[in-house]
Amino acid sequence: MIRRVTSTAAALALLAGLAACGGSKDAAAATTLTYWMFADRTPQAGQVVEKLRAGFEAANKGVAVKIVKIPKDDYNTKLGTALATGSVPDAGTLDQPLVARFALDGTIKEVPAGTVDEKAFYEGALTTNRVDGKLYGLPQDHTTVGLFYNKTLVPVPPKTWDELKRVTAEIHQKDPKIAGIVVPKGDGYGGWMWPGFVAGAGGEMASVKDKKVLFDQPPAVEALQLWVDLLKSSPREITDSDKPFENGLAGMMISGPWDVANIKDQFPDLQFSVAPLPYKTEPAGNIGGENAVVFSKGKNPDLAWKWLKYLTDPANNTQLAQALGGFPSTIAAAERDAATFGPDQAAFLEQLKVARARPAVPQWIQINDEIIAPAIESALSGKATAQQALTGAADKTRTLLGWTG
Amino acid sequence: MAVPVAERPTDTPRPGRLLGRPGRWRRDHLVGWLLIAPAMAYFIVFLLYPALAALYYSFTDWDLRTAPNWVGLANYTDLLFDGAKYPHFWQSVRVTLLYTLIAVPLTMGTALCQALLLNAIRRGSGVFRLLLFLPVVTAEAAVGAIWRWLYDPQYGLVNVVLGLAGIPRQNWLNTPGLVIPALAFIAAWQCGISMIIYLAGLKGIPASIREAAIIDGAGPVQRFRRIVVPMLRPTTFYLLVTGVIAALQVFGLVYVIFSGGGGRSVTGGPEQAGLTYVLHLYLFAFRYDAMGAACAMSFILLVFIMIITALEFRLVRQEAS
Amino acid sequence: MSRIRLAPVYAILVVLTLVSVVPFLWMLATSFKHGPDVYTKVPSLLPLDRRTGEWSPTLENYEHVVGIGGLGRAFLNSVWVCLVLVPAKLLVDALAAYAFARIPFPGRDRLFALLLAGMMVPTITLLVPRIHVTQELGMFDSGWGLILPNVASVLDIFLLRQFFLSLPRELEEAALIDGAGRMQIFWRIIVPLSKPVLAVVTITSFIFHWNDLVWPLVVLNDPDLYTLPLALQQLASSESGRAYYIMAGAALAVVPVIIVLMVFQRRIMEGIAFSGLKS
Repeated sequence: MIRRVTSTAAALALLAGLAACGGSKDAAAATTLTYWMFADRTPQAGQVVEKLRAGFEAANKGVAVKIVKIPKDDYNTKLGTALATGSVPDAGTLDQPLVARFALDGTIKEVPAGTVDEKAFYEGALTTNRVDGKLYGLPQDHTTVGLFYNKTLVPVPPKTWDELKRVTAEIHQKDPKIAGIVVPKGDGYGGWMWPGFVAGAGGEMASVKDKKVLFDQPPAVEALQLWVDLLKSSPREITDSDKPFENGLAGMMISGPWDVANIKDQFPDLQFSVAPLPYKTEPAGNIGGENAVVFSKGKNPDLAWKWLKYLTDPANNTQLAQALGGFPSTIAAAERDAATFGPDQAAFLEQLKVARARPAVPQWIQINDEIIAPAIESALSGKATAQQALTGAADKTRTLLGWTG
Repeated sequence: MAVPVAERPTDTPRPGRLLGRPGRWRRDHLVGWLLIAPAMAYFIVFLLYPALAALYYSFTDWDLRTAPNWVGLANYTDLLFDGAKYPHFWQSVRVTLLYTLIAVPLTMGTALCQALLLNAIRRGSGVFRLLLFLPVVTAEAAVGAIWRWLYDPQYGLVNVVLGLAGIPRQNWLNTPGLVIPALAFIAAWQCGISMIIYLAGLKGIPASIREAAIIDGAGPVQRFRRIVVPMLRPTTFYLLVTGVIAALQVFGLVYVIFSGGGGRSVTGGPEQAGLTYVLHLYLFAFRYDAMGAACAMSFILLVFIMIITALEFRLVRQEAS
Repeated sequence: MSRIRLAPVYAILVVLTLVSVVPFLWMLATSFKHGPDVYTKVPSLLPLDRRTGEWSPTLENYEHVVGIGGLGRAFLNSVWVCLVLVPAKLLVDALAAYAFARIPFPGRDRLFALLLAGMMVPTITLLVPRIHVTQELGMFDSGWGLILPNVASVLDIFLLRQFFLSLPRELEEAALIDGAGRMQIFWRIIVPLSKPVLAVVTITSFIFHWNDLVWPLVVLNDPDLYTLPLALQQLASSESGRAYYIMAGAALAVVPVIIVLMVFQRRIMEGIAFSGLKS
């Protein structure tokens, strides 16, 4: 028995030695860095990513970057499975609201001090990577939503809520078959856009520092009431149709920069432009985009940070951001290339300056989907007043988070 | 192929008794075990072990990333009784039951109807069969886009057709009360596999029996009731059992209908009217960090499906006797 | 039956077929449309120009879809996987179903009930442990990882068993008395009599694996191994709103399925009759 164990051990040692030899030979040839990202939006985007990869490999001899592209809708399912079974990449894209969760349970690494100059980034975009004052990722790009308006129906875009309500009512009054604006729904997506309006009335969703839920306060109630009011001249039977704004059935809609190219390709006849979101007391907006993080169980953290730094380097950041469908997250790149974005994008750029990150609470996705979105929907469908809906939602959120304020 | 039912022995002797040799018996055991061995190896590795692992996780707070902590029955009791923690659990149960109650009879009815019609004709049956089967072969990504367009409140073809019958326009996928019927209709549209199984069953009814009935002067309705229905009972039973299980687990259909693409989350349609049980489970497993609770949901569903299936078996046995 | 009496049968069939086919036709039409012609106020089942109403199809969408890196390879990967997986699965399932239907061995019915119970657990729950096992077996991110974890199906065994139960026992018993082995009986008697049901299982499992997205998604990291549904999903989830690309991809994907259908469907018409649902 003992002899068998020793011989097995010897065989294992031999195997391990062979493996080590093979490994070291490989290492001389190439260290492989695995990076996961969303599937290319367009073939051109794919070429940009490929060019960046080649550039990094040329600058770092002996390094191969293996990029795995995953359909966006299924990215988190795949990532969850990989994390559960330990087959994580070295680095990868991560949705903004996941950063807090992954940072707090140690799934991702903190950005080592001195890796990047934090002042080089837009504060809003960088904040989406900050948890308890520490930085856990780098923003690849950032994006926001603005007000798309049909130039034929809306000659001058509204700047304030009052103007917005007036324009919306006028459009529908003039032609009852046309809706004033596509009012967002009470779903996860609507829940992502709504904070932009809350901030436009001077409010906040929550204060993580003081452990306070704030979306039952007057600014939030007013923001929701605004949507309810807009709905009166924007019937759902019209706006639930596929692409109502694009088909000329709605005067305005709220969407992001990705729709500019989509509309130009598919609806070349539509005369439209984009303006910043109307506000009540101060200009504001929400923020989205893609962050990149380094996984704790990944193998080459130093190289991974080098790669992420390379992607966000002002020299590369604009190309990458455009491939991803957003705007450069570094101020230098954005300012240098501002002219190349074109007039349609100006509104988004302006709004990004005042964009606010989501509260860095690990449960935020669930709160957004399961509590805030249904509350918005119940106010929009008239089942509750805006105040009732939000008071209820805020109480549920406090229970879930164990907060008292 | 026709199985002459009349000639089938009513009291099948067991092969063992017939052969009566103990050696044969023992060899038979071995052959039996050998034949199921590949399948059993597969099931132990890829079904039983994963199921047991999931059962273990259902008693933990596992979030896929950090080590699971044992929480006992907490997931189960919270799901069933804690409306603050799982505000939409019972909603998902209601949605799924409603879907099953509508989709299963609608699908089976459509399938049987198509199969009966196909069985009645000769010329062109191959072409009709292929065309009726097309919905099943369509990729899911396309099914979502196609039906969102068909149900469009402004230009959708469904409203146009109903308009011809004087039914006013509906906002199908955005009116809470209409979401489930609309989804069930898509399921019925995709009834091709049930149709083929029914059709194969119909082809298996010996011509001699039908001819005898015609000679006896039985009309089409009588023949349907006296011959087709009883002869198809086992087929119907198979389709009912598997159809109910599939309907209680419906996921892909809702997912493609309510995902707008571009990474937007699927949260179950207007006022959670399309939040089916397994969609709810999926969201907790992969979106809300609660794989433990999601596993508990699976086993609550498992128990429910077992009860329903047992009832179905009992019902059929009663009818048969 | 006379032709006149069949007239209403054909009429109803035509209506039902229209319901089945119109969505499919829309998919085809859209796949041939220029982008701006897709969203017209009056839905059109033909690729017509949005302004003039003239016939104006295009192959651009197909060129775009085929041009996207890896679609051709994904197509071949899917063909390869289905060619190995579907026959292997059919064999494993048929052998097991035969034993469950015909060969008495201790614990048989209890085992079968256990398998049925396994079918009642939602697959989403089993995903993570299955990936874990696949990794332990060294098959993660490989062709085998696509095939082996799918090589048997309770649903198929259930269907096959029900069918085998309905076959007349006389032939088998005669063969047994003549000294034939179980395997000989299986190949010479059971298989020839079961072509219709085997065709049904072939078709359904081909369709399932040809369209399966979730398993390849989680088990594959290597883009060279991606299967067709994964490649199509990339289209669907990245080109948000571009229905015409999705439709072109879906139209391409449907061709092999229709071929399989045409080859095997004829077999089904030979009929299946289930009998005793002895559990």
